[in-house]
Amino acid sequence: MLQSSLLQLLNGGDAARVYIHTIPVLEKSEEIQSVSGGGGAEENPSPFRFTPHTIRLDRDDEFFEDGDVHRHLYLQDLVTALADETQAPNVSEFRCHIAGCKQLFDTLEGYEHHYNSLHRHVCSNCKRSFPSNHLLDVHILEWHDSLFQVMAEKQCMYQCLVEGCGLKFQTSKERKNHLITVHSYPSDFRFDRTKKSKRTKEKKTLKQWEVCMAVSGHAVNQHGEPENCEAMDVSLPQQSEKQELPPEQQKPRYSYKVPSSICFGQGSVRGFRGGRKKNACLTGGSGVSGLREAPRSPGKSVRPARRVRRRGRFQLYGSLLLH
Amino acid sequence: MWRLKSVHHKANRSAKDLEEFKRKRREHEKVLRQARRDRQLISKRLLLNEDEQDKEFMETDGTPVSPDQMQEMLRSVQSGGEEKATHLAVLRKALRDPQTHLIFTKLESSMYVLVGQLSGHNAQCQLEAARCLHELSHSLHPGVGQSCLPATPYLLTYLSSPCAKLAELCLYTLGNLWTEGAVMKEKLLAQGIVPALANCIQNQRCNLAVVEAAGFTLSQLLQDKDAADTVIPLVISSGLVPHLTSILTPDPEFGFGPAIECAWCLHYIVSRAVDTSALLTQGVLSQCCNLLITLGGAVSKGSTEESLELLIWPLLRCLGNLLASGVCEGAGCPVGLEDARLLGALCVFCQSYLSSHFGLTRESLWVLNNLTAGSTVFCSALLFCNMVPALLQLLPFSKGINTMVLRILGNVAHNGTGYCVQLTQAGLLPALCATLKMADPDVVTLSLEVLYLVTANSPQIAEEFVKLNGVSLLEAIQYNNEEEQCLRASFLLDHYLHTHSTADNPS
Repeated sequence: MLQSSLLQLLNGGDAARVYIHTIPVLEKSEEIQSVSGGGGAEENPSPFRFTPHTIRLDRDDEFFEDGDVHRHLYLQDLVTALADETQAPNVSEFRCHIAGCKQLFDTLEGYEHHYNSLHRHVCSNCKRSFPSNHLLDVHILEWHDSLFQVMAEKQCMYQCLVEGCGLKFQTSKERKNHLITVHSYPSDFRFDRTKKSKRTKEKKTLKQWEVCMAVSGHAVNQHGEPENCEAMDVSLPQQSEKQELPPEQQKPRYSYKVPSSICFGQGSVRGFRGGRKKNACLTGGSGVSGLREAPRSPGKSVRPARRVRRRGRFQLYGSLLLH
Repeated sequence: MWRLKSVHHKANRSAKDLEEFKRKRREHEKVLRQARRDRQLISKRLLLNEDEQDKEFMETDGTPVSPDQMQEMLRSVQSGGEEKATHLAVLRKALRDPQTHLIFTKLESSMYVLVGQLSGHNAQCQLEAARCLHELSHSLHPGVGQSCLPATPYLLTYLSSPCAKLAELCLYTLGNLWTEGAVMKEKLLAQGIVPALANCIQNQRCNLAVVEAAGFTLSQLLQDKDAADTVIPLVISSGLVPHLTSILTPDPEFGFGPAIECAWCLHYIVSRAVDTSALLTQGVLSQCCNLLITLGGAVSKGSTEESLELLIWPLLRCLGNLLASGVCEGAGCPVGLEDARLLGALCVFCQSYLSSHFGLTRESLWVLNNLTAGSTVFCSALLFCNMVPALLQLLPFSKGINTMVLRILGNVAHNGTGYCVQLTQAGLLPALCATLKMADPDVVTLSLEVLYLVTANSPQIAEEFVKLNGVSLLEAIQYNNEEEQCLRASFLLDHYLHTHSTADNPS
């Protein structure tokens, strides 16, 4: 609410006038120069167009409808204080900006919860969504790093899923036991799935999966996604397929959508800042070529690579929506 | 002071049951909205007599008058002698029922008789005849108004009558008749309705009921579709504007009815006039500004229930459109707007009417936009008076409210670093983080524009935005399908936020 001093002034009559010239005028600085970002600035002119301008409105402008109607209600003697109904003003809705998602939310909290649980930690390879960065890291390492299997035979590689525990195990089974006994996790913990255990099931779901792919692909095209991005996404699994597994066993994609009844809390989000660790994982298996160039030219060339990864994370495929 | 003197009105007739009244009103509002979209929004007013309050309607309501009865009434008026006035009063009461209007006009020489009484020497008969015509002018049947054409020269003549009651009746009758089609308008203009109104307002300055009536009639004229070509030049050249402006000081005794009418007249003139420079020199701007400040004080004390919005609305429009007319442009502050409390008043309106008259909040913001656009004086004053937090509170509301707030913020930010820093101190960035997530593409685009202004002006602000997890927010926008938004988000990430975001990347 407004300061009380101001309200006093408003009620102070003529004596309380605040001459506008007594208010110090802040210095106006120069127009924003076009960015000195090297050669790139000329190629990409600024897309920003806002300039302050006054708006003149015609008598018949739609903007004036409410007031005009109110005026005529008064002329027709239908205005009384009693009849004026107060109604809650319209509040803006929030929309998930991820292409292909577009879900609407009444509240900011609803949107943030949706975003954090579905789009915050998504594997760029198989589009699974995870409730935390830690679980995503573990997933990438165990599922998409081709060196993992080799390493796991020599040393303990299966990290405990509980963040901060730090113990590592020889096999996923050992880890499961540890989770159940030490951390009292349920035996069917949703995010403790090993790659192998899914293989038998995978063939059955393959057909259904293809349908999902078709749907999501269609949706993406319809919304006019830039083509190169799409190509990038497609290329990722293909490259890794060569390195790892026969094509049809690759990518057992399931919706790891978190059921709405399970809340991981908004505080669990740490954003994408743990880039270093994950990038290391990626170079191992998923073959994002851009990353290898990163050290050569820091700054600009790092960003596209980072975005490829993030693009994968943001991409929400039909599978997530359909389930 | 802010008592709206109830114009003796017709709604009282049926407003026994409040719920019923509300329902009726809602339906009526729907009809009016449609009429406005079709550019057919017109209203007529009905003046009731002091002598006939509720009781008398009840008597006439039950029995519909037959054509024969009507003929009989007319005959008795013609031959009435001493009791003519009484017979006219009976006729007038019969005419209160809209169904009798057609019967009356179809009778031979009925209008002739009425005009005869109106132009006669008997003052009481004059008044009663004028009342009959007033009832007829309020008719919904299109032909009835037309049939009153022979009376208009007399109605216009009596505008300068010393009898205030008669002048008032004639004014409301003329205001109603104006809506009766092109022929009527042409006739009234040719018969000099505009100079007659100018004279009336000038001469009856102290009789506020007459002034209110004249204001209403003039507002009817000015609402005409072709007003810009016909009525408005006449009104300006007849010197009405200074008179209208001088009435914008509500009278503590009478209430603010006259001010409402005159303010609407000024709005109709300002929003259509080609050259508004004359209006500025006539003090419209300063008068609107002063009254708005007074009203702001009244509203802040909690008098929103007293229909003040009826006056605030047209004043805001005058101010907004005058500011946008180009006459006020240039450095500094336009003459007449030197009182910074105007900003406070506008903020009070924004907040107080948010739930009851949402459109008023939007229009107050529009005026704030026009004040701050290109004006370092008003932008500084806005910051100085600490109004930014109040504006940020309005960002959750849609339907033109948040876009207008973002425009105002953009106006301020556009002035450079000093302004951007103060905006940020007032809490701009967290508010932008919320608007960037909204569904309305206009809101997102405008938020990106404002974000660009503040981050391009100050790297510290860019840094602060990054701390609020702003980068991931922009990246989410980057991957949506609105190209306008993608471009802007990418540009911001590439040019203003990259130094910060690469910091947490391996290099």
